Amino acid sequence: MLKPLLGNVTIEKILFFLETYGQGYPKGISKTFNISVNGIQQQFRRLEDGGIVVSSLEGKTRLYRFNPRYPFLRELRSILNRAMEFLSEKEMAQYYQKRTRPRRPGKLL
Amino acid sequence: MKTVWEKITIRDLAAVISDVLRKNGIEVTLVGGACVSIYARNKYISYDLNFITESSLKELVPILNGLGFKRKDGCLFENPKCKFLIDFPMPPIAIGNEPVLEFNSLRTKHGIIILLTPTDCVKDRLAAYFFWNDRQALEQAVLVVRSNKVNLTKIRKWAESEGEIEKFKILKKKLVAGV
Repeated sequence: MLKPLLGNVTIEKILFFLETYGQGYPKGISKTFNISVNGIQQQFRRLEDGGIVVSSLEGKTRLYRFNPRYPFLRELRSILNRAMEFLSEKEMAQYYQKRTRPRRPGKLL
Repeated sequence: MKTVWEKITIRDLAAVISDVLRKNGIEVTLVGGACVSIYARNKYISYDLNFITESSLKELVPILNGLGFKRKDGCLFENPKCKFLIDFPMPPIAIGNEPVLEFNSLRTKHGIIILLTPTDCVKDRLAAYFFWNDRQALEQAVLVVRSNKVNLTKIRKWAESEGEIEKFKILKKKLVAGV
Protein backbone atom coordinates (compact mmCIF):
# COMPACT_ATOMS: atom_id res chain seq x y z
CA MET A 1 0.00 0.00 0.00
CA LEU A 2 2.72 2.49 1.00
CA LYS A 3 5.44 0.49 -0.75
CA PRO A 4 6.06 3.10 -3.48
CA LEU A 5 6.62 5.66 -0.75
CA LEU A 6 8.56 3.53 1.75
CA GLY A 7 10.61 1.51 -0.69
CA ASN A 8 9.59 -2.00 0.35
CA VAL A 9 6.80 -3.95 1.94
CA THR A 10 8.80 -5.11 4.99
CA ILE A 11 9.22 -1.56 6.23
CA GLU A 12 5.48 -0.99 5.74
CA LYS A 13 4.70 -4.03 7.88
CA ILE A 14 7.14 -2.93 10.58
CA LEU A 15 5.59 0.54 10.71
CA PHE A 16 2.02 -0.85 10.81
CA PHE A 17 3.15 -3.17 13.61
CA LEU A 18 4.67 -0.33 15.66
CA GLU A 19 1.62 1.85 15.05
CA THR A 20 -0.61 -0.94 16.34
CA TYR A 21 1.37 -2.32 19.25
CA GLY A 22 3.60 0.62 20.20
CA GLN A 23 6.79 -1.45 20.22
CA GLY A 24 8.30 -4.60 18.78
CA TYR A 25 11.40 -6.76 18.53
CA PRO A 26 12.80 -8.29 15.34
CA LYS A 27 12.15 -11.95 16.22
CA GLY A 28 8.54 -11.29 17.23
CA ILE A 29 7.81 -9.26 14.10
CA SER A 30 9.57 -11.86 11.99
CA LYS A 31 7.27 -14.57 13.40
CA THR A 32 4.17 -12.45 12.94
CA PHE A 33 4.78 -11.83 9.24
CA ASN A 34 6.89 -14.88 8.44
CA ILE A 35 9.75 -12.69 7.18
CA SER A 36 13.41 -13.46 7.99
CA VAL A 37 14.79 -11.89 11.19
CA ASN A 38 17.68 -10.51 9.14
CA GLY A 39 15.29 -8.73 6.81
CA ILE A 40 13.50 -7.13 9.76
CA GLN A 41 16.78 -6.15 11.46
CA GLN A 42 18.06 -4.57 8.26
CA GLN A 43 14.95 -2.40 7.96
CA PHE A 44 15.08 -1.47 11.65
CA ARG A 45 18.66 -0.31 11.13
CA ARG A 46 17.49 1.84 8.26
CA LEU A 47 14.67 3.31 10.33
CA GLU A 48 16.97 3.89 13.30
CA ASP A 49 19.63 5.59 11.13
CA GLY A 50 16.88 7.85 9.84
CA GLY A 51 15.79 8.76 13.37
CA ILE A 52 12.29 7.31 12.86
CA VAL A 53 12.63 4.62 15.52
CA VAL A 54 14.73 4.23 18.65
CA SER A 55 15.73 1.04 20.43
CA SER A 56 16.66 -0.03 23.92
CA LEU A 57 17.74 -3.29 25.50
CA GLU A 58 15.11 -4.93 27.72
CA GLY A 59 16.87 -7.93 29.23
CA LYS A 60 18.44 -9.58 26.20
CA THR A 61 15.91 -8.27 23.73
CA ARG A 62 16.32 -5.11 21.66
CA LEU A 63 12.96 -3.37 21.63
CA TYR A 64 12.09 -0.81 18.98
CA ARG A 65 9.52 1.95 19.15
CA PHE A 66 8.79 5.17 17.31
CA ASN A 67 11.21 7.96 18.13
CA PRO A 68 9.07 10.58 19.88
CA ARG A 69 11.66 13.17 18.79
CA TYR A 70 11.25 12.45 15.07
CA PRO A 71 9.92 15.80 13.80
CA PHE A 72 7.46 14.28 11.31
CA LEU A 73 6.14 11.56 13.62
CA ARG A 74 2.63 12.97 13.89
CA GLU A 75 2.33 13.20 10.11
CA LEU A 76 3.86 9.75 9.57
CA ARG A 77 1.46 8.15 12.03
CA SER A 78 -1.45 9.90 10.41
CA ILE A 79 -0.49 8.41 7.00
CA LEU A 80 -0.04 4.97 8.58
CA ASN A 81 -3.45 5.15 10.24
CA ARG A 82 -5.08 6.23 6.99
CA ALA A 83 -3.36 3.43 5.07
CA MET A 84 -4.38 0.85 7.69
CA GLU A 85 -8.04 1.70 7.06
CA PHE A 86 -7.55 0.04 3.67
CA LEU A 87 -6.26 -3.28 5.03
CA SER A 88 -8.56 -6.24 4.54
CA GLU A 89 -10.45 -7.59 7.55
CA LYS A 90 -8.49 -10.79 7.19
CA GLU A 91 -5.14 -9.01 7.31
CA MET A 92 -6.25 -6.87 10.25
CA ALA A 93 -7.39 -9.94 12.19
CA GLN A 94 -4.27 -11.93 11.33
CA TYR A 95 -1.63 -9.35 12.15
CA TYR A 96 -2.98 -6.34 13.97
CA GLN A 97 -5.53 -7.58 16.49
CA LYS A 98 -3.41 -9.58 18.89
CA ARG A 99 -4.37 -9.35 22.53
CA THR A 100 -2.54 -6.43 24.11
CA ARG A 101 -4.34 -6.13 27.44
CA PRO A 102 -2.65 -7.79 30.44
CA ARG A 103 -3.05 -11.49 31.19
CA ARG A 104 -2.10 -13.14 34.48
CA PRO A 105 0.43 -15.96 34.24
CA GLY A 106 -1.17 -19.41 34.21
CA LYS A 107 -4.27 -18.33 32.28
CA LEU A 108 -4.75 -19.52 28.72
CA LEU A 109 -4.17 -16.87 26.06
CA MET B 1 49.24 22.57 14.39
CA LYS B 2 49.57 18.85 15.18
CA THR B 3 46.45 17.37 16.79
CA VAL B 4 47.05 15.16 19.82
CA TRP B 5 43.99 12.91 19.60
CA GLU B 6 44.59 11.30 23.00
CA LYS B 7 44.39 14.63 24.82
CA ILE B 8 42.00 16.67 22.70
CA THR B 9 39.01 18.27 24.45
CA ILE B 10 35.51 17.93 23.07
CA ARG B 11 35.41 21.63 22.20
CA ASP B 12 38.69 21.46 20.29
CA LEU B 13 37.64 18.29 18.50
CA ALA B 14 34.33 19.87 17.47
CA ALA B 15 36.30 22.81 16.08
CA VAL B 16 38.85 20.64 14.26
CA ILE B 17 36.16 18.50 12.60
CA SER B 18 33.98 21.50 11.72
CA ASP B 19 36.95 23.35 10.27
CA VAL B 20 38.27 20.49 8.14
CA LEU B 21 34.80 19.71 6.80
CA ARG B 22 34.13 23.38 6.06
CA LYS B 23 37.41 23.65 4.13
CA ASN B 24 36.08 20.78 2.03
CA GLY B 25 32.80 22.56 1.38
CA ILE B 26 30.77 20.68 4.02
CA GLU B 27 28.76 22.68 6.55
CA VAL B 28 27.96 20.94 9.85
CA THR B 29 26.04 21.91 12.97
CA LEU B 30 26.86 20.44 16.35
CA VAL B 31 23.84 19.21 18.36
CA GLY B 32 23.20 16.98 21.38
CA GLY B 33 25.31 16.29 24.45
CA ALA B 34 28.51 17.83 23.05
CA CYS B 35 26.77 21.24 23.13
CA VAL B 36 26.06 20.62 26.83
CA SER B 37 29.73 19.84 27.47
CA ILE B 38 30.77 23.06 25.76
CA TYR B 39 28.15 25.28 27.43
CA ALA B 40 28.58 23.66 30.86
CA ARG B 41 32.37 23.97 30.60
CA ASN B 42 32.86 20.20 30.90
CA LYS B 43 30.85 19.80 34.10
CA TYR B 44 29.18 17.14 31.99
CA ILE B 45 31.30 15.21 29.50
CA SER B 46 29.70 13.74 26.43
CA TYR B 47 31.68 11.20 24.45
CA ASP B 48 29.66 11.67 21.26
CA LEU B 49 29.86 14.54 18.84
CA ASN B 50 26.64 14.65 16.84
CA PHE B 51 26.89 16.73 13.70
CA ILE B 52 24.00 17.40 11.36
CA THR B 53 24.82 17.97 7.71
CA GLU B 54 23.01 17.94 4.39
CA SER B 55 26.10 16.36 2.78
CA SER B 56 26.25 12.65 2.05
CA LEU B 57 28.27 10.00 3.85
CA LYS B 58 30.11 9.40 0.60
CA GLU B 59 31.50 12.94 0.85
CA LEU B 60 32.28 12.66 4.58
CA VAL B 61 34.10 9.31 4.62
CA PRO B 62 37.35 10.27 2.78
CA ILE B 63 37.73 13.49 4.78
CA LEU B 64 37.22 11.79 8.14
CA ASN B 65 39.46 8.90 7.10
CA GLY B 66 42.14 11.51 6.49
CA LEU B 67 41.82 12.49 10.17
CA GLY B 68 42.05 8.86 11.29
CA PHE B 69 38.30 8.45 11.93
CA LYS B 70 37.02 5.26 10.30
CA ARG B 71 33.37 4.45 9.73
CA LYS B 72 32.25 2.02 12.42
CA ASP B 73 28.54 1.48 12.04
CA GLY B 74 25.89 3.46 10.21
CA CYS B 75 26.97 7.09 10.41
CA LEU B 76 29.33 6.56 13.36
CA PHE B 77 33.09 7.23 13.09
CA GLU B 78 35.86 6.36 15.51
CA ASN B 79 39.55 6.99 15.83
CA PRO B 80 41.30 4.43 18.09
CA LYS B 81 43.47 7.21 19.55
CA CYS B 82 40.52 9.42 20.43
CA LYS B 83 37.94 8.81 23.18
CA PHE B 84 35.18 10.66 21.34
CA LEU B 85 32.90 9.17 18.69
CA ILE B 86 31.62 11.23 15.80
CA ASP B 87 28.07 10.67 14.59
CA PHE B 88 26.04 12.20 11.79
CA PRO B 89 22.34 11.84 12.64
CA MET B 90 19.95 12.53 9.78
CA PRO B 91 18.71 16.07 9.25
CA PRO B 92 16.58 18.11 9.82
CA ILE B 93 17.55 19.79 13.06
CA ALA B 94 14.39 19.86 15.12
CA ILE B 95 13.39 20.00 18.74
CA GLY B 96 10.01 18.37 19.23
CA ASN B 97 7.93 19.43 16.25
CA GLU B 98 9.78 22.70 15.72
CA PRO B 99 12.59 23.18 13.19
CA VAL B 100 15.66 24.93 14.60
CA LEU B 101 16.44 28.01 12.56
CA GLU B 102 18.86 30.02 14.69
CA PHE B 103 22.34 28.87 15.67
CA ASN B 104 25.30 30.01 17.69
CA SER B 105 28.86 30.19 16.45
CA LEU B 106 31.91 29.84 18.66
CA ARG B 107 35.29 31.01 17.52
CA THR B 108 38.15 28.84 18.83
CA LYS B 109 41.85 28.60 18.05
CA HIS B 110 41.04 25.56 15.86
CA GLY B 111 38.22 27.20 13.93
CA ILE B 112 34.55 28.06 14.18
CA ILE B 113 31.92 25.72 15.64
CA ILE B 114 28.30 26.19 14.57
CA LEU B 115 26.06 24.76 17.29
CA LEU B 116 22.66 24.99 18.98
CA THR B 117 22.10 28.19 20.95
CA PRO B 118 22.14 27.72 24.76
CA THR B 119 18.33 28.12 24.78
CA ASP B 120 17.85 25.41 22.13
CA CYS B 121 20.43 23.23 23.89
CA VAL B 122 18.28 23.40 27.04
CA LYS B 123 15.16 22.59 24.98
CA ASP B 124 16.99 19.67 23.38
CA ARG B 125 17.89 18.22 26.79
CA LEU B 126 14.41 18.87 28.14
CA ALA B 127 12.93 17.06 25.12
CA ALA B 128 14.78 13.92 26.25
CA TYR B 129 13.45 14.48 29.78
CA PHE B 130 9.90 14.99 28.48
CA PHE B 131 9.87 12.00 26.15
CA TRP B 132 11.91 9.45 28.10
CA ASN B 133 11.79 10.83 31.61
CA ASP B 134 15.61 10.92 31.47
CA ARG B 135 16.76 12.63 34.69
CA GLN B 136 20.34 12.92 33.42
CA ALA B 137 19.04 15.10 30.59
CA LEU B 138 17.23 17.28 33.15
CA GLU B 139 20.47 17.72 35.11
CA GLN B 140 22.26 18.66 31.89
CA ALA B 141 19.59 21.27 31.16
CA VAL B 142 20.15 22.71 34.64
CA LEU B 143 23.93 22.90 34.04
CA VAL B 144 23.44 24.81 30.77
CA VAL B 145 20.94 27.27 32.29
CA ARG B 146 23.32 27.97 35.19
CA SER B 147 26.31 28.74 32.98
CA ASN B 148 24.68 30.62 30.11
CA LYS B 149 22.21 33.29 29.19
CA VAL B 150 19.06 31.40 28.18
CA ASN B 151 15.55 32.55 27.38
CA LEU B 152 13.43 30.77 30.00
CA THR B 153 10.24 32.47 28.76
CA LYS B 154 10.77 30.95 25.32
CA ILE B 155 11.51 27.56 26.89
CA ARG B 156 8.37 27.76 29.03
CA LYS B 157 6.21 28.53 25.97
CA TRP B 158 7.75 25.62 24.10
CA ALA B 159 7.22 23.27 27.08
CA GLU B 160 3.57 24.39 27.16
CA SER B 161 3.16 23.64 23.46
CA GLU B 162 4.61 20.17 24.08
CA GLY B 163 2.09 19.63 26.90
CA GLU B 164 4.91 19.36 29.47
CA ILE B 165 4.52 22.41 31.67
CA GLU B 166 4.71 20.28 34.85
CA LYS B 167 8.16 19.03 33.90
CA PHE B 168 9.23 22.58 33.08
CA LYS B 169 8.18 23.54 36.62
CA ILE B 170 10.49 20.83 37.96
CA LEU B 171 13.37 22.47 36.07
CA LYS B 172 12.41 25.86 37.55
CA LYS B 173 12.29 24.39 41.07
CA LYS B 174 15.76 22.92 40.65
CA LEU B 175 17.08 26.27 39.47
CA VAL B 176 15.52 28.13 42.39
CA ALA B 177 16.64 25.52 44.94
CA GLY B 178 20.14 25.50 43.50
CA VAL B 179 20.29 21.68 43.47
